[in-house]
Amino acid sequence: MLPRKAEVVVIGGGVIGSSIVYYLAMKGIKVVLLEKNGIASGTSSACDGVILLQSKKPGVHLKLALESAKKYRNLKNELNYDIEYRNNGGMVIIENNEELESMKIFVEKQKSIGLKVSLLDKDKAIEKEPALSHDILGSTFSPLDAQVNPMYLSFAFINSAKELGAEVYTHTEVTGIRLKSNKISSIETTRGEIETDIVINAAGVYAPEIGRMVDLDVPIIPRRGQLLVTESVPKILNGILISAKYIAAKFNPNLAESEGVGISIEQTANGNILIGSTREFVGFNKNVTPEGINDIAKHLIILFPQLKEINIIRTFAGLRPYTTDGLPILGKVDGIEGFIMAAGHEGDGIALSPITGDLIAELVVEDKTSIPLDEFKLERFYS
Amino acid sequence: MKERDKDVIICRCEEVRLQEIVKVIDEGAVTIAEVKRRTRAGMGLCQGRTCRQLIAQLISKHTGQALKDILPSTFRPPVRVVKIKTLGGEESCFLEKQK
Repeated sequence: MLPRKAEVVVIGGGVIGSSIVYYLAMKGIKVVLLEKNGIASGTSSACDGVILLQSKKPGVHLKLALESAKKYRNLKNELNYDIEYRNNGGMVIIENNEELESMKIFVEKQKSIGLKVSLLDKDKAIEKEPALSHDILGSTFSPLDAQVNPMYLSFAFINSAKELGAEVYTHTEVTGIRLKSNKISSIETTRGEIETDIVINAAGVYAPEIGRMVDLDVPIIPRRGQLLVTESVPKILNGILISAKYIAAKFNPNLAESEGVGISIEQTANGNILIGSTREFVGFNKNVTPEGINDIAKHLIILFPQLKEINIIRTFAGLRPYTTDGLPILGKVDGIEGFIMAAGHEGDGIALSPITGDLIAELVVEDKTSIPLDEFKLERFYS
Repeated sequence: MKERDKDVIICRCEEVRLQEIVKVIDEGAVTIAEVKRRTRAGMGLCQGRTCRQLIAQLISKHTGQALKDILPSTFRPPVRVVKIKTLGGEESCFLEKQK
């Protein structure tokens, strides 16, 4: 049975909601999490685990990611669960002069925000990652990039939150939100109703559905990413890698259409190699397509010719909660007291989950945050 | 679960034992996918061909759900393991289509 009352209700048991309950429980808040399926059953189990600082927009986005990276180093010890966190650095692979010129500018901007990152020539790049093709031009390298197992991270947050007194209800769907004179009053679910003053919308690609329950327009659009998984093989990659095309595709949807996807690649703790990803707007369709798989495999062979003999055991696709400016929606919303947004991280949810959880918990408890959330407000889309 | 059965291997690709599966069911996993995400059962070379049914039976036995009501995990290509070069190289199975 659901409890009758809670100080805070979090909707969504992905990595973002899990992180929020953890940080709220740490602050002694009586919090309840509601998830319509299982923990990490949507986007958070249909993605890779790269914690990439180099792909963040230089500005407040990168600042958030840098703070999140600091938290990861503590989380590894704080959580009583092996989250398979490894901090072995990451590279952006540069294939031609055009990419080199744009990466030079990108790297300078990132450095000015405080990211440790440098440009490597071809020989240095191959020295770091011997599986790379000899046809590349060079790469960047940042020692701060890391990896984690996104499912284990979510379970770890949930386990620790429960130990601290949080209550977690899976297979419990939110069906309505009751307001009393524009204040949150209770949450209706398939398993009963909970009274609360504060609700946090961490429903990812489904956040617009929750928004509609209080007549709020939440402009998050599902963006499909297809990935390939190889059999487990002995260690062949040292860190995480993405192609420069990936960065172009991420920030310019038109480029993603014309120039192809640009891949990201990591080897997990178990030895499987995860290769992603397409970026497609196809509604809530989670199918993989021959074109998507072919695109990724082709680009992979160009960058890592040695890997072509390795077996693919599975393909899959997940939906990323996309916003038009690439930033998540975080914080209170105007006109509805007690309604807090924490969704729309697109492909940055894993990297940004610790800082998102911490900031939202600060907002609930102290009514202010150590990093201002102004640029992440929902209302930026209305003006 | 009998003491002597605890170490029986349910997922042979990822070497997941009976007691590990039962533990996550006891902790609340009610679908094959939930068991998979927590234990890796079904994540290996055969993608659950052998263990999928066994896990469904275990969930049914421990939760009382009817076997027919237990959600199957998602089936995804390829049906058999396939080399990366077959998906994207000069020998790609997609080449015919592209011509």
